[in-house]
Amino acid sequence: MRITGLIVLSAMLSTAPLAVHAQGKSAPKDAVLYFVWPQDKAVIKGGFWCRFGLRNMGVTHAGDNFQNSGHHHLLIDVNDPLDPKEPIPQDKSHLHFGAGQTEARIELPPGKHTLQLVLGDGAHYPFNPPIVSNKITVTIK
Amino acid sequence: MRGEIRDISSGRGKDPATPRVGTPRRLAAIVVGDICGYSRLMELDEEETHARVKRIERDLIEPSITEHDGKLVKRTGDGFIAIFDSPVEAVRCGIVIQQSMIGRNAALPKSSWIEYRIGVNLGDVIIEPNDVFGDGVNIAARLEGIADPGQVYISGGIYEQIKHKLVCGYESLGDRKIKNITDPVRVYRVLPDPAAFNKARKRREHVLIISFCAILLALAGAGVWYMRAYPRGEIGNQASAPSAPPQETGNAGTRSAPAPAAKQARPEPAPAVTPVPPPPPAPPKPVIEPVMVPLPGGTFAMGSNDDISEKPVHQVTIKPFAISKYPVSVREWNACAAANACAFLVTGRDDIPVTDVSWTDAKQFVAWLAKETQKAFRLPSEAEWEYAARGGTQTKYWWGDQLQPGMANCKNCTDATAEQPLKLGSLKPNPFGLYDMGGGVNQWTEDCWHKNYQGAPQNGAPWVENDCVSHVIRSGSWKNDARYVRPASRDGYDTNVRYPTHGFRIAISS
Repeated sequence: MRITGLIVLSAMLSTAPLAVHAQGKSAPKDAVLYFVWPQDKAVIKGGFWCRFGLRNMGVTHAGDNFQNSGHHHLLIDVNDPLDPKEPIPQDKSHLHFGAGQTEARIELPPGKHTLQLVLGDGAHYPFNPPIVSNKITVTIK
Repeated sequence: MRGEIRDISSGRGKDPATPRVGTPRRLAAIVVGDICGYSRLMELDEEETHARVKRIERDLIEPSITEHDGKLVKRTGDGFIAIFDSPVEAVRCGIVIQQSMIGRNAALPKSSWIEYRIGVNLGDVIIEPNDVFGDGVNIAARLEGIADPGQVYISGGIYEQIKHKLVCGYESLGDRKIKNITDPVRVYRVLPDPAAFNKARKRREHVLIISFCAILLALAGAGVWYMRAYPRGEIGNQASAPSAPPQETGNAGTRSAPAPAAKQARPEPAPAVTPVPPPPPAPPKPVIEPVMVPLPGGTFAMGSNDDISEKPVHQVTIKPFAISKYPVSVREWNACAAANACAFLVTGRDDIPVTDVSWTDAKQFVAWLAKETQKAFRLPSEAEWEYAARGGTQTKYWWGDQLQPGMANCKNCTDATAEQPLKLGSLKPNPFGLYDMGGGVNQWTEDCWHKNYQGAPQNGAPWVENDCVSHVIRSGSWKNDARYVRPASRDGYDTNVRYPTHGFRIAISS
């Protein structure tokens, strides 16, 4: 098991650099991006602390190009598909956490909202394949 | 650091009703952090280790403490002591530091890893301006001492405070007898990832495997690997350490406009180590000042009801000032970079706005320009920016309430390419004769980001606090839709982070 993992990982890592700086750095296959909180279908009163979970990769600042690390982006009510060839947009629906934040205070108007995390590399591009969380729905009372 | 520690003991800005004499005591969450194997690292490479640790302190430790409303009490060579009002914030800060260190170490062989042990305890302590004393501190230090590298250990007191508030895994390590402390202390290990509760050990093996592969890989394909992957002089960064200043080659500090992929791996430009090639040995050219447009003072209604961040609409009085006719261009920026005063040179077209600049980068530019010209150039305040952008109008856009083609460089507003902003001066100026006040590039202002205008100043001055982590950007960019080109539209962005649509313009008081 461990040997297989090792082979897969080294194969992955050795092909990885060739793709670097074309857009879309590669990332560990077992990287998982997820919401620590809130959970899908949570009903929340007022503002809340959104906590970002990342397994098998590290969180770093935007601008840092270390392998196997990136920074968080929170997509709020975004329905457009992610363009892997473009930096993750920066607007009111695409919040950036380039200082390496792993949580954020979020305030949304009452109603249903979708939340999704996307990991960006040093230059705000999505990884290839993209490291994204499940899209969750929360209801703000 | 700033101010007296006593100031924060009773919360922000509140003065204790009764002044107390004697030793100030308070209940605080104490965070003690220390680098594991510091002497070993120093033995390996003293100067580099020192530089890396300094950089981590500056880029990570200090901002993380500030972000979590804590106070750095003192540095201990290879470690730090910080106090927090809130145990939750204290532990969060510890987790953020540890998680960020994983990222920083990921590209390095295990032997060069810098790993912190962190202990957190709640205790009644004695506060002095640059130190903190008491059992509570000793216990935090002992927790730190028994923590595994990369881990946060907390005391029972902290655990009781945070267990239902901070969604983490907590692994009880039982009661531990601690040197010179009578009662045993209950110790918990924090697992930042709740799903990792049972996987903690397995995950550590993963890290080992990954680092092992990284070493193998580094040994195997080094040459080709670096040539292909990092053609722009990032070799130094990758091969040595994140904190080492980039090894300069001829074009190490250059990048094409706007090609964010060519950016260097430096989140915070440090004035001390500016990665810009030395200028050619030509006589120094006089600095060409950006074209400035003087504006009369006046009172206007700032804000709108279109977005929650733009409320409440409030009257602001602006003193006469001048603002640059265009956003700062690549040409103007490069003069600063050539003088080693700005962080990077941009190659490619120089008649477009400079982009991919952080607020800190923009501040470096204005500081350089002010020094060179002996004029007090600065960034505009947010209120000045909106006043200038409105050009005396109170409509949704400066040209009216309806979107019109050819007025702003925004997404789906012109048929320009999406790769870069339009050449400066391509579209119509507003009634004040200013170009690209809305669309084009996002523009930094002096103000700290505030989520709305509750408590905003009414005199046009920038609204700032010390060391704010994010600043206001205005104007929207060529990649944002028409909602963002409204003069009232506003957003915030991390102070030290570069983004490919962010630029700035400059101002000066009349």
